Amino acid sequence: MSVEEETFRELKDVFGDRILDFKIQKMRVYVKVPSDTYREVIRYLVLLKGIYHLETITGTEVKDGIEIMAHLGTGMPISIRTTVSSEDPRIASICDLIPGAEFYEREIHDLLGVVFEGNPNLKRFILSGDWPEDVHPLKKSFESKHNLPLREGFD
Amino acid sequence: MSTFDIPIGPMHPALPEPLLLKLEVEGETVVGVDFDVSYMHRGIEKLLEAKTYFQGLPLVERICGICNAAHGLCYTLNVEKLYDKEIPARAQYLRLVVEELSRIHSHLLWLGVAAFEIGFNTMFMYTWRDREAVMDMLESITGNRITTEYSQIGGVRRDMPSNLVDRLLKTMDVVEERTKYYTKVALTERTIAKRTQGVGYLSPEEAKATCAVGPVLRASGVKNDIRADDPYAAHADVPFNVITYDSCDVFARIIVRAQELLECVSMIRTALRHLPEGPFRVKLPMKPNAGEALTRVEAPRGELFHYTLSDGGMKPYRYKVRTPTLANLGALRAMLTSKGRYVVNIGDVPISYGSIDPCICCTARVYFVDSRKGRSWVWTLDEIRERSRRGELLP
Amino acid sequence: MGIVGWARSKSPWIAHFCTGSCNACDIEILACLTPRYDIERFGAVLKGSIRHADVLLVTGPVTRQVRDRLLRVYEQMPEPKYVVAVGTCATSGGVYRGAYNVYPGVDSVIPVTAYISGCPVKPENIINGLSFLLKKIGESK
Repeated sequence: MSVEEETFRELKDVFGDRILDFKIQKMRVYVKVPSDTYREVIRYLVLLKGIYHLETITGTEVKDGIEIMAHLGTGMPISIRTTVSSEDPRIASICDLIPGAEFYEREIHDLLGVVFEGNPNLKRFILSGDWPEDVHPLKKSFESKHNLPLREGFD
Repeated sequence: MSTFDIPIGPMHPALPEPLLLKLEVEGETVVGVDFDVSYMHRGIEKLLEAKTYFQGLPLVERICGICNAAHGLCYTLNVEKLYDKEIPARAQYLRLVVEELSRIHSHLLWLGVAAFEIGFNTMFMYTWRDREAVMDMLESITGNRITTEYSQIGGVRRDMPSNLVDRLLKTMDVVEERTKYYTKVALTERTIAKRTQGVGYLSPEEAKATCAVGPVLRASGVKNDIRADDPYAAHADVPFNVITYDSCDVFARIIVRAQELLECVSMIRTALRHLPEGPFRVKLPMKPNAGEALTRVEAPRGELFHYTLSDGGMKPYRYKVRTPTLANLGALRAMLTSKGRYVVNIGDVPISYGSIDPCICCTARVYFVDSRKGRSWVWTLDEIRERSRRGELLP
Repeated sequence: MGIVGWARSKSPWIAHFCTGSCNACDIEILACLTPRYDIERFGAVLKGSIRHADVLLVTGPVTRQVRDRLLRVYEQMPEPKYVVAVGTCATSGGVYRGAYNVYPGVDSVIPVTAYISGCPVKPENIINGLSFLLKKIGESK
């Protein structure tokens, strides 16, 4: 059994049916879990398996909501994905487990509107202070043209 | 938390300012740090969704104007994972050569800027003069000094003829000799030691907890390098040493980068000696397969992360880029916050900030708040450096 | 050309402002100070302070956050002032044109005297552009 398959087997043994889907590639294991299991899987990996490096958290708007994927990169890299609904995009923060997650969660909060419950500092990070609160640029419904005020006499 | 009046100066705090660092100070000591990176935000990820994969390459290279080769390489490697085609070995070796050449230019640039921060203007001029030899080689090989777009989807853009190989090897001899000289200066000059040892301290535990990457992580003794842990391009065939240092301060970061330069030289020599024959590019169709791909590359600043989700069309459904500087912001905060016996002085801020090799301009402005005195003010990093020299760090 | 124009064209004080570019143009501007290009032989002095600058070199497409700061910087410059848009992004928005957070170039925010193109602009072009500007300054007044 390859290292990738072994890593997946261990997770499957602990979390059983709560792993909804998985994918094994060279040097990367993907698992999909429901949103209430997301934090538990990461907690298991950080506290019991000694994983400390979070590469990033990606957010993508998909058909049934917003997909959040945490990419852990110590030893065999594991990416844990989950989906939250677009109407009420909330998920548990992992900042207490991995302090470095703070900026990645703030970025997704700005660009996609996901609320990370438990993030100590969920303020504006990447969008300017005067950007409207409920407009999230990475959503497919946001159109990329702008009406920024141009100088008089500019054509 | 007590309230205080903020004196309204020539710059009103409520205006959307391109502030980068917000420091909470008590007198000259820094006690708290927050960031606002909004002024660099250009909306690139959204723009990439509107361009085809092939059109996206010039945009991705310009995410950072210094480690652009790493961005281009990561992008092309990532998109290629969506195709079922093997990329020629010659292309992977040539990619490695240009990637390492770009790392040399980036580290020499940084050494010059670090020297300038410490007050060694002559060293700045020397390193940048030596860097020009590398820029000339980049221009001869790729056609441009920076934003070379050498790595293309399917291979590299041009082949490297043997006369260029010879010239490159000669340039490597020069770089090696100059780097050894700079390392000797860094290790023996007492002014450098005084200004950098113990400054910007980041313990290994903090480095891991804040998810630091690159030379910042390795200067705290942690042996992580994507080229060794998860090799890409031709790195599996080209051996090198992962450089770490244990003193966890700005001095360690200087030594790590200087020694990495020597490793780059050795890797380029090995790659050129074993350059395989064959094509340097394969043609790939406009539409890749549907699916997702994820690639990590060791940029000069650290681990670079690209992720894409394809729906089988010409344009990406989603493209995500995480730059190494963003990953190091947590580490920067840790090294700028005074705790226990580790005291951070305002004067240490520019060099600590510079030591993470940030991909941000130097006209960055720092916003200070001293709650005990009820004052707030803004200085640029240049101003902090000048005031530090004059010993005038209280407003 | 009058004596004031002559004096001004012989030693222009240059300030540099980055409005959210990828920094490649900024690095090439800094490279102009180094021995190979040596812009100081033209008497050009790169000063940090805007209040004493004759010429403002602006790089980068103007991001939304930086626009007000750029306007203020321009207002703080004493007359006569000259603005040089350095690089393709400063000229037209460059590769970022169309992004939601970016203006289509510096001249959509402040008036520009000269444009130096390139992505990034080569140091030779910066020197060429600045010499052209100095000649223009010298011929005024």
